[in-house]
Amino acid sequence: MAITIDKEQAQFLVRLADTEMILGQRLCEMCSNGPFLEEDIALSNIALDLIGRAEQLYILISEIEGKGLSADDYAYRRNEREYFSIKLVEQPNTDFAWVIARQYLHDVYVKEIFTQLLSSKIDKVAGLSEKVLKEITYSHVHARDWMFRLGIGTPESNRRLQAAVDHLFKYAGELFAFDSIDKKFLSDITKLEQGWKSAVALTLAEANVKQPEIHKIYMRDYREGFHSEYLGHILSEMQFLPRAYPDAKW
Amino acid sequence: MESGDKVWEVFIQKKSGLPFKHAGSVHGYDKKMAVQNARDAYCRRGEGRELWVVPANCIVSVPMDEAEAYFDPQEDKIYRHPTFYVIPDGVENL
Repeated sequence: MAITIDKEQAQFLVRLADTEMILGQRLCEMCSNGPFLEEDIALSNIALDLIGRAEQLYILISEIEGKGLSADDYAYRRNEREYFSIKLVEQPNTDFAWVIARQYLHDVYVKEIFTQLLSSKIDKVAGLSEKVLKEITYSHVHARDWMFRLGIGTPESNRRLQAAVDHLFKYAGELFAFDSIDKKFLSDITKLEQGWKSAVALTLAEANVKQPEIHKIYMRDYREGFHSEYLGHILSEMQFLPRAYPDAKW
Repeated sequence: MESGDKVWEVFIQKKSGLPFKHAGSVHGYDKKMAVQNARDAYCRRGEGRELWVVPANCIVSVPMDEAEAYFDPQEDKIYRHPTFYVIPDGVENL
């Protein structure tokens, strides 16, 4: 059974929900793999915040859609092409610089989005935004501080951060390829794009990292359900248990 | 930013007005990392509203071999304890 999302409000929210879910899953892979104990706890903590945020959004989506599906159904029973996460968050944990750069670029993006959603007319979204902005503010500060440490730390840490940023910027273009649904529910798409670009440019400059150009991406857009090679692998691991044992309870 | 992998002692205040209590220690290369690590390790379940981190090497402690001279003489001075007073009802946090 394919799960479709039919109402425009839900189609908008599922982009955020899936983005947070997939980044949460990616970050959970860092549990026990952090560079040292305290950072390991910090990353896992942020991962749980992301998954909790996704769950809240799936609950809202479920209420809007009114099909009697649970948050778990939306997370665990949709296929790759039915997912609407940004490609940026699917990218792997190649090294710690990738983890940090991905988190930073994501955090600036969702910080801009949830700030605009503080005045959203979708039921309950304004309240949820107020709550999650506190989490995002913390995660954003944590990631940005690490951008500086890596960028101006040693030649090796700078080289690794530059490589991560160069790769991840390939997926920055689609963030701003807004469609009619984005335009309907975001209050100011120009402000979102300019806010992200100016904040990121400032951080990269201070971190001594060259800013890559944002090129047009020769892949179809995440808003149509198209992804990089990594999402299918993430889902196969994430969804294995609930799909193999549909009645499992824990 | 300072460099070097340092140990920091963590103190948490449960709510405004209460004393800070020692919670444990964390690693951190700089002040910001230390306070963030302390938050993630010790303050995720409503343990407090304020947090201090102090470089462990800034804390001065009583030398181990002088502990007897510092602490033993107080053991037989019962009058130093405020047990001869009645604490009025309604006094909290004493």
